[in-house]
Amino acid sequence: MNYNDLTRNYFESAANAGELEGPGVFRGAAGNRDQGTWVQFDLRINGGAVSEAKFLAFACPHTIAVAAWLTERAVGGQVTPVLPESVPALRDRFAVPVEKMGRLLIIEDAWLAAVLPAIDYREGTHIVK
Amino acid sequence: MSATRTPVSPMPVYLDHAATTPLEPRVAARMAEVLSSETEYGNPASASHSYGDVAAALVESARAQVAATVGAAAREIVWTSGATEANNLAILGVAQYYRERGRHIVTARTEHKAVLDPCRELERRGWEITYLVPDREGLLDPTQVAAALRADTVLVSLMHVNNEVGVVQNIAAVGAICARHGSAWLHVDAAQSVGKCPVHFASLGADLMSLSAHKVYGPKGVGALVISQRGESGGRGRVQLSALQFGGGQERALRAGTLATHQVVGMGLAFELAAKISSVETARVAQLRERLWRGLLSLGGVLRNGSATRSVPHILNVSFEGVEGESLLAAIRPHLAVSTGSACTSAMAEPSYVLRALGRSERLSESSLRFGLGRTTTEADVDIAIASLTHALSRLRKVAGTRVAGTLPAA
Repeated sequence: MNYNDLTRNYFESAANAGELEGPGVFRGAAGNRDQGTWVQFDLRINGGAVSEAKFLAFACPHTIAVAAWLTERAVGGQVTPVLPESVPALRDRFAVPVEKMGRLLIIEDAWLAAVLPAIDYREGTHIVK
Repeated sequence: MSATRTPVSPMPVYLDHAATTPLEPRVAARMAEVLSSETEYGNPASASHSYGDVAAALVESARAQVAATVGAAAREIVWTSGATEANNLAILGVAQYYRERGRHIVTARTEHKAVLDPCRELERRGWEITYLVPDREGLLDPTQVAAALRADTVLVSLMHVNNEVGVVQNIAAVGAICARHGSAWLHVDAAQSVGKCPVHFASLGADLMSLSAHKVYGPKGVGALVISQRGESGGRGRVQLSALQFGGGQERALRAGTLATHQVVGMGLAFELAAKISSVETARVAQLRERLWRGLLSLGGVLRNGSATRSVPHILNVSFEGVEGESLLAAIRPHLAVSTGSACTSAMAEPSYVLRALGRSERLSESSLRFGLGRTTTEADVDIAIASLTHALSRLRKVAGTRVAGTLPAA
């Protein structure tokens, strides 16, 4: 299979691969290794913004690349109940084949599993939501 | 998956000799001579002039070379376009000829698609096919064949050497069982055997045997079906088969079409050279394979597929735990040319049906690689392969958060 340059670059670098520990970290995962795709995001939230993001992925190069890119893109932004970029836009940006669209939805599920609790989380008197 | 294929530069280390082999320079030179000759371009079927005689002599010389290499008589060799055509001719040809005697065929789940697909076609036409299941090492017990034979069985079709895991089946025992049965002919796909392990058509007890040139450092586009001429005085006569294509009556009317003299000459020389492969070279390739296996073993979470003791020396098939198959292939692709455990035959990759038949899970089948070593493979190539896989596995397992406990037992 061929991959576009963006996919190849983010797959090969896999920047931000790993896990976060400590206060303010929210974790979300989706998928199943036995079914070929599993993704996990760790987001550190400070004052309603993402200050650090990591991911793990047992998945194809497209999925790894998108997950890596999202963790980079998210840092510095406000926590919102959506992906930093929509699934159709990610599909176009990374030239994800149509038969792999389900894997982008797994990424979305993992992302939302991390951010939704963060949005509900009350930090001191500040309500992120 | 369909995609534009872009050449890689520099080219990766080639460890896919089970898929195809580079053309042996002496074979290429001889083929070029035939192609450019002013006297060897005749139609081998033209009996009315000397140009035809010269070409026919080349064809017959090549026929003798191939026959000598596989322990057959020259008159038993029928040229085809490759092993796929030979398999089709054997299976469909026997089925058609003996359709009134019986419509049952025995084969195995781990056969090449060039055997399974003709069998599927016969199923669609009303034949019954029994698919034998090998053990976890990929080996069939000949008694499985004996148990599967029926009064209406007309053909047993089994491969000598499995193309994915390299195991060698006990064909001689199956041949004896078929001979005792009386009406079941034995077809053997020997595309992966020549030059890698002893192949002697008569000793195997086979009635039909498929051969390929390009697996033996010969040209693509040519092969042969060996059709036994033994048994004239025996109890069950000689195997017969119906032709699948018609035209000029070439190859005893079993395979019509003008022969490609240069291709046939190339196959003949390639087989003659394969017959001269020394035990030293065979041992060299076997040592390289074990060097590769030992190197991979140290990575942990690796499983060898197929019997390690009853296999040809040039194939090593390994499953890697804790990595996703497509990512593994993408990571090593710039450095290594190997086959993956999934067949990318359509939009989505499918796990290897051979590894699934050996009991590997879908995930492990997808994260498996077949290494095919050959005459040009060096220690340096093997070390590059180990280094490339060490790096890829380390990185991908970290990305996946996978912890591999250690080496797992071989299948």
